[in-house]
Amino acid sequence: MSKRLWAAAAVVVAAVALSASAASAAGETVGSCIFDELGEAQFEGIEGDGFTAVKNLKTAYKADVEGAEDLKKDFEKDLEGCLEAPNPIIPEVTEIIWGGAAFIVLLALMKWKLFPVVKNLMEQRTQRIQDAIDDADRQRAEAAEVKANYEAELADAKAEAARIVDEAREQAGAVRADLQARAEADIAEMRERAAADVEASKRQAIADLQSEVSDIALGAAEAVLGRSLEDPEMQRQLVDDYIASVGAGQD
Amino acid sequence: MADRSASYADAVAAVARAEGNLDLVADELFRVARALEGSDELRMTLSDRQIPAARRQQIVEDLLGGHASDTTTAMVSMIVAAGRSSDLAGIAQEAVEINARDRGRSVAEVRSAVALTDDQAERLAAALSAATGHQVDVKVVVDPSIMGGVVATIGDEVIDGSVRHRLSQLRDTF
Repeated sequence: MSKRLWAAAAVVVAAVALSASAASAAGETVGSCIFDELGEAQFEGIEGDGFTAVKNLKTAYKADVEGAEDLKKDFEKDLEGCLEAPNPIIPEVTEIIWGGAAFIVLLALMKWKLFPVVKNLMEQRTQRIQDAIDDADRQRAEAAEVKANYEAELADAKAEAARIVDEAREQAGAVRADLQARAEADIAEMRERAAADVEASKRQAIADLQSEVSDIALGAAEAVLGRSLEDPEMQRQLVDDYIASVGAGQD
Repeated sequence: MADRSASYADAVAAVARAEGNLDLVADELFRVARALEGSDELRMTLSDRQIPAARRQQIVEDLLGGHASDTTTAMVSMIVAAGRSSDLAGIAQEAVEINARDRGRSVAEVRSAVALTDDQAERLAAALSAATGHQVDVKVVVDPSIMGGVVATIGDEVIDGSVRHRLSQLRDTF
């Protein structure tokens, strides 16, 4: 890790330095650019070259020569190109050297002091995260176990509830059947008892009626007999009849 | 009870035989028993042990004196004094039967709603003698409860020709 870091830092510094060297070799400063443009200036229809051509173009322009104004504008554009900003990416070589050295020093300091602390913090953070993950896994496992237990208990409770409902239904059916049987038996018994009572009442009424009739008949007979028996002749006749029946061998 | 009544009857019969009037004593004793049977007050008085025996004997002598023989009066007085007045009916019955046996006859207790004439009693005795095959002495008891007719009891045999019996049979047929 450390070796790869140092190698990467060295490659970055070298690449920046090489590109900065190439840019410096091209001599691209604003003054040199303008100087080169002036020294190499040539215009169509204008005599001379370099600074002379520029001086003659100026004269022609002032003289309002045809086409001088266009040439002047083109040359001004060329010069304005020299005024463009330096490369924003590629710095100066010295800056790169000092920056690279400072970067290396800073990197060394960071490697020496900061990285262990950051590494330690990262490891602690990693450990905390791992612990949290482990804890979460454990809690998830526990939750899964609790859920499984709950689902099992729920299933057992549902089965128990179903069994209780079935038993209650069976018991209710048995009780209903028993009550129905008892009610039917009671009704049959009540009917038999009522029929027996009716029959007994009928027999009793007939017996009472017969007794009443016999009492009336006997009462009437006794009344008639009572009046007849008051007659001494009747009593004598009864005794004589008895004697006659005994004498004849009859009762 | 029956043995005791028989013993008393034997004693009465022995005394009466000695006096030579068993037939009379038996008949009077039977009548006294029937009279006692018809009077609850007299029966209770003679049975009441709270009354001194002498007083009860005096009552017997007052009632029977002049109406029954001395032997009969003495026998009844003795039975009452012994506290056996409640057995008097059984004793009289036994005495009558002893008397009848002595004469080779049976006794028929005849209950009638009205008193029988002598003619009826004789004809009834003859009819019962013919029916049973041996001579029968008739002892008549007037019992209005039978309403009419006659009930004759000879030993264990009962010949019931009473109106009450006829009505009972009529009631049973209903």
